[in-house]
Amino acid sequence: MGFEKFGQVGYISQTKVAPLISYLQKGVVAGTRCKNDGKFYFPPRADCLDCRKSDMEWVPIESRARLVTFTQVFFGPPAFEQSTPYTLGLAEFENGLRVFAPISKDLDRDELKPEMELVLRPRHVGEGVFYQLEKP
Amino acid sequence: MARVAIVGVGHSKFGKRSDASLRELAFEAYSEALDDAELESSSIDGSVVCSATHYDKQRSPAGVVAEYLGLNPKPTFNVEAACASSAVGLRTAWSLVSSGLHDVFAVVGVQKMTELSNKEIQELMGRAGDVMWESPFGTTMPSYYAMYATAHMARYGTTEEDLAGVTVKNRKYGAKNPKAMFQKPIGVEEVLKSRPVSTPLKLFDCCANADGAACLIVSNAERAKKITNKPVWVAGLGLASSPMALAGRHGAMTSFEVTKNAAKSAYEMAHVKPNDIDVAEVHDSFSITEILNYEDLGFARPGKGAKLLKDGETELGGKIPVNIDGGLISKGHPVGATGASQITSVVQQLRKEAGDVQVDGARIGLAQNIGGIGMYAAVSILRA
Ligand SMILES: CC(C)(COP(=O)(O)OP(=O)(O)OC[C@H]1O[C@@H](n2cnc3c(N)ncnc32)[C@H](O)[C@@H]1OP(=O)(O)O)[C@@H](O)C(=O)NCCC(=O)NCCS
Ligand SMILES: [Zn+2]
Repeated sequence: MGFEKFGQVGYISQTKVAPLISYLQKGVVAGTRCKNDGKFYFPPRADCLDCRKSDMEWVPIESRARLVTFTQVFFGPPAFEQSTPYTLGLAEFENGLRVFAPISKDLDRDELKPEMELVLRPRHVGEGVFYQLEKP
Repeated sequence: MARVAIVGVGHSKFGKRSDASLRELAFEAYSEALDDAELESSSIDGSVVCSATHYDKQRSPAGVVAEYLGLNPKPTFNVEAACASSAVGLRTAWSLVSSGLHDVFAVVGVQKMTELSNKEIQELMGRAGDVMWESPFGTTMPSYYAMYATAHMARYGTTEEDLAGVTVKNRKYGAKNPKAMFQKPIGVEEVLKSRPVSTPLKLFDCCANADGAACLIVSNAERAKKITNKPVWVAGLGLASSPMALAGRHGAMTSFEVTKNAAKSAYEMAHVKPNDIDVAEVHDSFSITEILNYEDLGFARPGKGAKLLKDGETELGGKIPVNIDGGLISKGHPVGATGASQITSVVQQLRKEAGDVQVDGARIGLAQNIGGIGMYAAVSILRA
């Protein structure tokens, strides 16, 4: 329980990685690391793909990421209508992992370019917590 | 490998079909396919009903569709692979028939969408992205494909005019297709001036949600030769998967790995190369998708998709005519029906029954169908 707080509209409430919510509430974006073989996952996974063990620890993720691509959404689902236009991005961390996240409204669409440096930071909106891509 | 043929095809009018229910749409396509094959229901061993069932009010639609088509008590079941449902339906029927379990099987692709608003539909479509890590941020289908468009434009210099060119081409051919939702050509300026949906995609870069059905009658070789003197053979089938989460995918986001993998399997099974394809139907859910598909199917080198289009090579008369039935952009995209619709157009080409848009001497055709945001892709290669 608790994961419904993730994002602007949470569709899922129950998952083994729900502790992400308390990390985000504390201002930390975290992934999971397999205690058996050290493999790191972001977004967090409860189960290691490499060794199939499910003994994970939470580890903060570096915040710097390079923008891969983005779009500004003008036609959103009903629950997002009030927020349009909003921008969604895909960014890559130095370790090669990627994150799909909204891009801060502080960034103008004209400023956005694939390859630019951004940072991933936790955000609160009402009851919800999530992360977004912001100016470094 | 056992030979399997398509011996009949049927296609309802696509569009805002406020006159018809799901089962009635299915009947239109099925009945036309039976007429086409000169068969009666008594010759059909069962049905696979293909639809992305969340858009339909009817749950588990195979039940009601089989009943309405008069196919009880024969086997029926649903196959769902989002927008690629009925291409996967063909794969399913191929397996049933080539295994010897059945002789003649009906693939019924059908979707009733327009009882929902486009906003409600985009909420459902956004949830055909990763519902845990992406949908909570307000994803829609156009937004996902738009991210591929942004990347392709940044890397290869593809322009919004190039994208508009896809719509202009497809709408030109759609005007010749009486089953299409939009039968009016459109100019580049009108596409460029249309309102933004998800940048850089605008209204006329998008396919429209629609109601419709298409049906394929699939048969083993022995029966096929008795049923028709124009069987169209299933030469190659490829199906592949990709992570659903965009963040789980690699590379520059300028191509769909899933299409490349499905195409590789299909080309290998059919023993053909991209050059051998005489006519193709590709998944133009959005203008950008068609350009990526040219590259991913091997019709153009990476980054050269827009050039292939501008050189006129994908027009009727070009090296590889693509979507000359109008594509999803003209026909509309009743999700579950689209794969069978594409295959129907290829079958008509290979039987030399494509009328105004007939490709001279077409012998080998290809249909490519992407599911959702590219977690599935199916490539079907057919031979006269
Ligand atoms: C683009 C889209 C969001 C527009 O929806 P909308 O803003 O609600 O549009 P409306 O229904 O208000 O339509 C306004 C007009 O544009 C037309 N129209 C709507 N979508 C259209 C489209 N994609 N192409 C051409 N015309 C379209 C309508 O027929 C209507 O015309 P009319 O005024 O003459 O009746 C919607 O078509 C859509 O969701 N398309 C994408 C579908 C999709 O993602 N499929 C899955 C792909 S994998
Ligand atoms: Zn492990």
